[in-house]
Order: sequence, then C-alpha cells, then structure tokens
Amino acid sequence: MAGLVETFGAGAMTNSIGEIRDADFLFVIGSNTSEAHPIIAMEMKRAIRKGATLVVADPRAIWMTSIAEKHLQLNPGTDVWLLNAMAHVIVAEDLINREFIENQTENFEQVKETVASYTPERAEEITGISADDIRWTARQYAMTEKAGIYYTLGITEHAHGTDNVYALANLVLMTGHLGKPATGMNPLRGQNNVQGANDAGATPMFYPGYQRVDDPDVQAKYEKSWGVPLSPVPGLNLNEMMKTVGEQMRGFFVMGEDIVLSEPNVLELEKGLNKVDFIVMQDAFMNETARFADVILPAAVFAEKEGTFTNSERRVQRVRKAVEPPGEALPDWEILVMLANKMGANWSYKDPAEVYAEMVKDVPQFAGISHEKLEKIDAGEESIAGLQWPCPDADHPGTKFLHEDGILRGKGLFMPVHYIPPAELPDEDYGLFLSTGRTLYHYNAATQTRRESGLDVKQSEAFVELHPSDARKRGVHHGDIVEVTTRRGSVQLRAILSRQVRPGCIWMPLHFAEARANVLTNDVGDAVTGTAEYKVCAAEVRLVKSMPGNETFFPGSYYFEKGPGLQRVGD
Amino acid sequence: MSKLTLNEQTICFAEGETLLDVASRQGLEIPTLCHDPRLEPAGACRSCLVEVAGERLMTPACARVAQEGMVVATENERIDRHRQTLMALYMTDHPHEREISEAGSPDLLLDMAAEFDAPMDWGWMEPMRGDREDRNPYVDFNPDTCIACARCVRYCEEIEGVSAITLAGRGSHTTISTVEEKSLLDTTCELCGGCIDVCPTGAMNEKLPLMRGQKPERELVKVRSTCNFCGVGCQLDLNVDLEGRDGQGQIVKVTSPPPGTTTNDGNLCVKGRFAYDFVHHKDRLTQPLVRDEDGVFHPTTWDDALERAAEGLLGVAERHGADALGFVSSSRCTMEENFLVQKMARALFRANHVHQCAAT
Ligand code: SF4
Ligand code: SF4
Ligand code: FES
Repeated sequence: MAGLVETFGAGAMTNSIGEIRDADFLFVIGSNTSEAHPIIAMEMKRAIRKGATLVVADPRAIWMTSIAEKHLQLNPGTDVWLLNAMAHVIVAEDLINREFIENQTENFEQVKETVASYTPERAEEITGISADDIRWTARQYAMTEKAGIYYTLGITEHAHGTDNVYALANLVLMTGHLGKPATGMNPLRGQNNVQGANDAGATPMFYPGYQRVDDPDVQAKYEKSWGVPLSPVPGLNLNEMMKTVGEQMRGFFVMGEDIVLSEPNVLELEKGLNKVDFIVMQDAFMNETARFADVILPAAVFAEKEGTFTNSERRVQRVRKAVEPPGEALPDWEILVMLANKMGANWSYKDPAEVYAEMVKDVPQFAGISHEKLEKIDAGEESIAGLQWPCPDADHPGTKFLHEDGILRGKGLFMPVHYIPPAELPDEDYGLFLSTGRTLYHYNAATQTRRESGLDVKQSEAFVELHPSDARKRGVHHGDIVEVTTRRGSVQLRAILSRQVRPGCIWMPLHFAEARANVLTNDVGDAVTGTAEYKVCAAEVRLVKSMPGNETFFPGSYYFEKGPGLQRVGD
Repeated sequence: MSKLTLNEQTICFAEGETLLDVASRQGLEIPTLCHDPRLEPAGACRSCLVEVAGERLMTPACARVAQEGMVVATENERIDRHRQTLMALYMTDHPHEREISEAGSPDLLLDMAAEFDAPMDWGWMEPMRGDREDRNPYVDFNPDTCIACARCVRYCEEIEGVSAITLAGRGSHTTISTVEEKSLLDTTCELCGGCIDVCPTGAMNEKLPLMRGQKPERELVKVRSTCNFCGVGCQLDLNVDLEGRDGQGQIVKVTSPPPGTTTNDGNLCVKGRFAYDFVHHKDRLTQPLVRDEDGVFHPTTWDDALERAAEGLLGVAERHGADALGFVSSSRCTMEENFLVQKMARALFRANHVHQCAAT
C-alpha cells in the first residue's frame, strides 16, 4: 500500500463499500471481483441494475465481464501502458479537472509530459486493446461525476505493482475523482485483516498508523511510550526476508501463515529454510512450514477469541468469541504475551481491548476507536456496525470517504511512471504467459476451505486454464493431465480448455497443495512494497496423460459463454 | 415534503417511499413475508395488505408507493379479518407442527398464524411433494413448507445476479425449481446461501445441520462476529449450540445479520456462510509441540514449549544479532495480535524485520 500512502497520504480504500451502489461508472482493473470479493460484486451488480456502466480491464474473461459494457482484455503486465494511454487521452482532449489539479495536487506537469508519448494507437499495439476502446473508456471515466476505480492483487502482484498504483492515482488526481461519495481509488483487500495488519504496524517501514520508523519524532514517541530504545532502520520486507533465508535471516517467528505454501519460488526458499537455526510457528493447523519448525504453538481461530479486524474500507469491526478452542490451543494474543514475557518483557495485558487501547493512544487517526465504543455502536440500530478511520476522538462518527476536506497528504502527488515489461516474457522454451489467481470456492492456501467438504465437492482439484488454440498445438484435450513448467519448477494437474484466457496465456488457481502454483512463480519483488510477481511469468505446458471421457470435468470456475459443465468449450 | 394520513396521524414522507417504509419509520408493525428491503417489491404474499380510503380493494403496503393526501389504515377489523383468513388458507397445506417445519430455520408463518389466531382446521390439502434429493452440498429445499413467495428466486436474480432458481408449476402446484430441474451444482448457482437466508418459512434450509441432526436454529445462540476470509469484512452470526462438544460450544451454522445493519447488508458468500467446518476439524492443533533430537515432534507443556521458543529466538539473536530474526505476522489474525508481534520485534529485539504474508 506504500503507493497510496505516498500519493494521497493514506493507504486504504478512499470510499466505502456501501457507496458502490450509487456509482455511475465503475472501472475494475485486475480484480476478479465476483470470485475474490463476492459482496463487493453484489454492490456493483446493484449499481449496474440502476444503470451504471462497468468496464473491466483483465487479461482473462471473468464473470464480471459478462455484465460489463466493455471488457478490455489487455496483454498481461501491460497495465501501465493502458493507464498512461487513458491519461494521455484525458490530457489531450482537455478533460482534466483544472481547478482540482491547481488547488489540490502537485507535479502534474511531469505526468503530462510523461504520458504525451503514450498514444492510444501505440497502446493498441502493446496492450492489444483498440485505440477506440481506450479513448471511449478514458472519456467515460473523466466525464462521469461518480466514477470509481476498483483494483486488487491483479494490479499490485507485479514486479511493478507500485507503478500500476501510481498510474491509477494519476487518473484519479487529474479528473478530481476524489473526496466525493461513490468515486475514488479503492484497493480491495484479499485477506480479512490485511488492512488491519498494515494499520497495526506489522510492516518493516511503519509503526502503527503508517508512521515511519525512520522519522526521528515518531521514534522518540515510541521510545517514550514503550520505554526502550528503538531502531530507525527500516526492516526487510517479507520478499527480502525470504530471499536471505539461511544467510542473513537465521531465525523466524511465524504466526498464522504458511510461508512455504504462500511464497513464490518455493523450491529456493526451502533450500534456505534448511539452513535456518530456529523457527517458531504458531498456527491452528499443521502446514508446510511445519516441516522446518522447531516449536509449534497451537492457536485458536477467529471464532474462539476476542479482537478486531479492519476491512478494506477502513472499518474496524469486532471479532467475538463463540466457542472454546480445542484441547490446549490458545488465542494468539495470549500466546504472544506469554512468549514475550519468557523473553524478558513485562507485558500485563488482560484482554485485547487493552491492547487496542495502547495501540490507538499513539495513532491520532485511530484515537477515537475502542472496543467499548464498538460494542455501543453494534448494540444500537442507527448506524452500520463498526467504525471507519480516521476517527480522531471519542465523539467522532468515523469517516465514510477520505479526502473530503482536502487531500490528507496536503497535496495529491502525481507520480510519472513508465512502462517496464514484466521481468519474464514468453520465449522459445517457455512459450506461454502464466498468471495465477483465486477462485470463489477456496481461499489462499485453502487450509480452511479444503477442510470444508462442500467446497471440495464444488471444486475438488487443481486445474489450469488453457486456450483451445494453444491446447491444439500441444495435443491437449479438455480434462487431460498436463505438466506446467517454468524456469523454477513444474507441477502436474488437469487442463481445462477455456476461452476465458487469451491465446498465449494460461491461468491457474493458487489454492491447491498438490499443485502448488508458487513452485512456478517468480520471486522478483516490487521495489517498493516487496510484493512478489505472482501474476505473470513464462511457462510451458506438456501433455502427460490423455484422459478421454473427461469432457465434462468441471472444477467450478466460471465458464465463459457456456453454462457450467454443459459442453466442452473450444473445439 | 409530501404528507399523508396514517392511522389518523399526519406523516411526512419522501418521494418513492412505500407505505411499508412510512409505517416502519413510525414504528408500526405490518406483517410481511415476501418483502425484503434489498429487492424490488413483489406484492406476492398478501400478508401486508392495508386499507387506503376510497379504494375498494386492500393494497400491499410493501409495493404501494405513498402519495400526497392518501388516507391509510394499517389496523382495523377488516384488516384483522383478512390476516386471519389468509393465514388460515396458508395453513391448509402447511405443516402445523414446529418439529416438522422448523427442523432447521425458523418458520415465520407459524408465528404469524398464532399471532392472528388463525383457525387451523380449514381442511388439509396434500402439499406439493417434490423431490428433495439434490447432490449440492449445502442447500436443502422442502416443498412442503414453501409458500411460493419467490423471495429466494428474486434474491438469486436481483442480488446474486445468477438466476439459478425459478418458480415452476402453476396455481397450488407452484414451487421452486432450477432450470430443467437440474442439481444446483450444475446451474449458475454460486452457493451463496442467500436463498436460505431470505426464506421466511424455512423451506430453504442449510443441509449439513439437518443431515447431522443438529439443533434447530431457534435453540441456538447467535454470536455476532466478523468473517475471517476476505477483506470485505462481512458481519455474520455464528449460531452456537452451547451444549455441543461437551459444553465447549459448537458452531452449527452461520447466518447473516438483518439487511441494513452491516456493511454486507445481510449478504454473505459461499465461504462466509458455509466454510466453518474448519473450526471444529479433527486436524486442529491441540497441544504445543517441540522437535527433539530424534527430529520428530513431541507434545509438551505450554511452559516447556514457550521456554524453548524463547531460548531459540534469543539464541539466534545472540549468535547472529537481532537483525537475523524475522517476524512474520498474519493478516488472518486480529489487529491486537498484529500490534503485539510488531511490538515484540521492535521493543524486544530493536529491529524492524516484521511483515505479513499478504502485504497487498
Ligand atoms: S445459493 Fe445463492 S446462487 Fe444458489 S440458488 Fe440460492 S441464492 Fe441463488
Ligand atoms: S462472507 Fe464472503 S465476501 Fe463476506 S467477508 Fe466473508 S469471504 Fe468475504
Ligand atoms: S410482504 Fe407485501 S405482499 Fe408479501
């Protein structure tokens, strides 16, 4: 989220989920919304029923494209070209919001210069989207008052993910679609508490509330608050930590994550982990990381503990204990307190409410939020449950959309960006573009969803989507077992023939342990956030075993044009 | 602002409000079955009829838009009689026993029949018996208790946007079905369970608790919490059997809070509503484990495990410097837990190597 903090001064959805239904133009880029965020998709469907226009930019056809006015099916990794070309049109046709640019932003001239060479015609060559469609989209976006941008991992999981965010932010700033309801720039978070984990300071660069570790005033504040000397040197991000596993990194504390299943280029990582001195793992289930762990601490799951999550729209909401954890398992916060005390700390938190109170004490924009206040709001009927930050004092009602009284950063910062091709492009040996993603029925490493029998009925095994024309060249039929290979490794799984992907592109979900997508993916990290390039790399597909009679194999992903399981798509 | 007269009081209303909207704002209760604030009004169940002065027929409050000068009554003898008659008619082919109609979700029709003191002896027609078999894992449909109000069908079309189910048959044989009577699994259904949630009579039901013979929803305790899957942060109600798991509590099902009270507006997706089995799964870790000389994990006490964890981490810091320690926190865990992990890294080890898996 560093990109948004830098340009606007706050790294979160600028607007609220409930405002989506009132938008008139929705620009969805790199988000398979109906599968990754079904509830947001419902809001979008509502807006569309009321007459809103939806444009989806995605290399792959997804459910949302079936109700979109236009599907911009761009070549993978060419987002910056598309976005800069849209900016080009907006500038060239003088659709900019001059007043907003003058009063509320800085550095516009530089972006104007940069996008001058990004003509729609050249964009057509590189992105594969017609110049007309680019012009049309740019005009619609600029000229519709309630126009919002929605994006997710599709945009940020690139080596140049932060560039994509800047390019989008430029569009928002030049049209002034900010600080008003049903507009803005809205990153949809993949996991329940990504927003919260970042807000709470679980990031190498920031203390809670995006306060920089290398800012002397901030450091002084926390040294006073915690009564210990602190380090002004930003830490390594996860991608960097994983790359120096076994070298600089010699010990790990891992809570609630399966780094082995979720990190890219996992074979390299495993080599490094073998050289690590010591790993403590704290989780509710055994996972792949356990193979390298020395101590495993059994943790409670969300239904067994108290606390809060913060959602994509900055809404802090209560998590409440409903049942007792099994056996001796304990809530993570309790384990953390005990472990810290064993290591010489003197922590005496008696409940999560107290931890929360300590956190907000040093973060002005969270200062008005407390467990107590959340209880009160949830018990009343006047307002929607939870409280959205900024919420500076106890009487503040929370903030539905950001930047209403001017951009939080002071001035919105235009950031010129240039297109850099993806780190790895298809070539003779690896002729296809591989991207990975989520499906509706599973969740990340799927340690939870695959333990749910029903979801396994609907989507029981891994699959790779392959365009019929690419399949034909390789002698692959629907339902066959194939091997997908990249420079880093290979996995075997089912092929499904689908026109959802463009010719030359393949796609697979990342949830399945027996066909780990991240054996294949690239660990080149974004220079700013360290988010790895999960989305694109070069790959090749080879037939392993023909499976005649498997024409109806349907793993539950959305079928383009034809109904699920009805017919073979393709030949 | 326009005005109308409601039960002899003058009331202001906004353009486009229905009589039901106006009445609810006044705290007046009008019975409804097919109404849902998220859906276009259908006026199908007739339970909300009210009287408008000068009109011969009563009108459904849920579908009738308020108009300047209207004189409306929501309570009188005629309306009472209508409600009684309507319920009595519904009851001619609707199970009268709660054990049957409320094996899963509550049946509002039974409540209403009781409330209006409806005669229960107006004959008995064999209800539509449909095939209850469907290989889909989650949604059970019981045609016996269905009143064909089409709330589920409308939800599926208007909110979920997939139109997987439709009204089928005519007259008293009207029921809910899929296109060509296929299994839900072979339709566009996304298993969101919204049809279960909106059904007023519990005809649409969650399959697993029924198959497992778990307690009906009425006997469960609802605990409001936040979904632990995606970043939307839907509010959900964990329905707990307090006596389950030897008094440790067992989650029997998940339901959504009423529309209009939470970000998700009463909606949930397949994961939030149905993927709760992991909580009580037999694969859960239940004991601290430490790896011994022999290279395998052995169960141990909390104290021992924490001791070893602390020694191990401090040891790395001693040998290689605190800079050699990485703290991987989790976007799956709470705010409070994330706060504590970063404080641990920073305050105890004076280093900033703390991050979580999904920084996006
Ligand atoms: S579960 Fe959802 S998608 Fe499926 S029939 Fe019911 S409402 Fe429609
Ligand atoms: S119910 Fe579905 S959409 Fe809502 S938070 Fe959970 S996973 Fe996300
Ligand atoms: S609630 Fe008005 S007709 Fe059903």
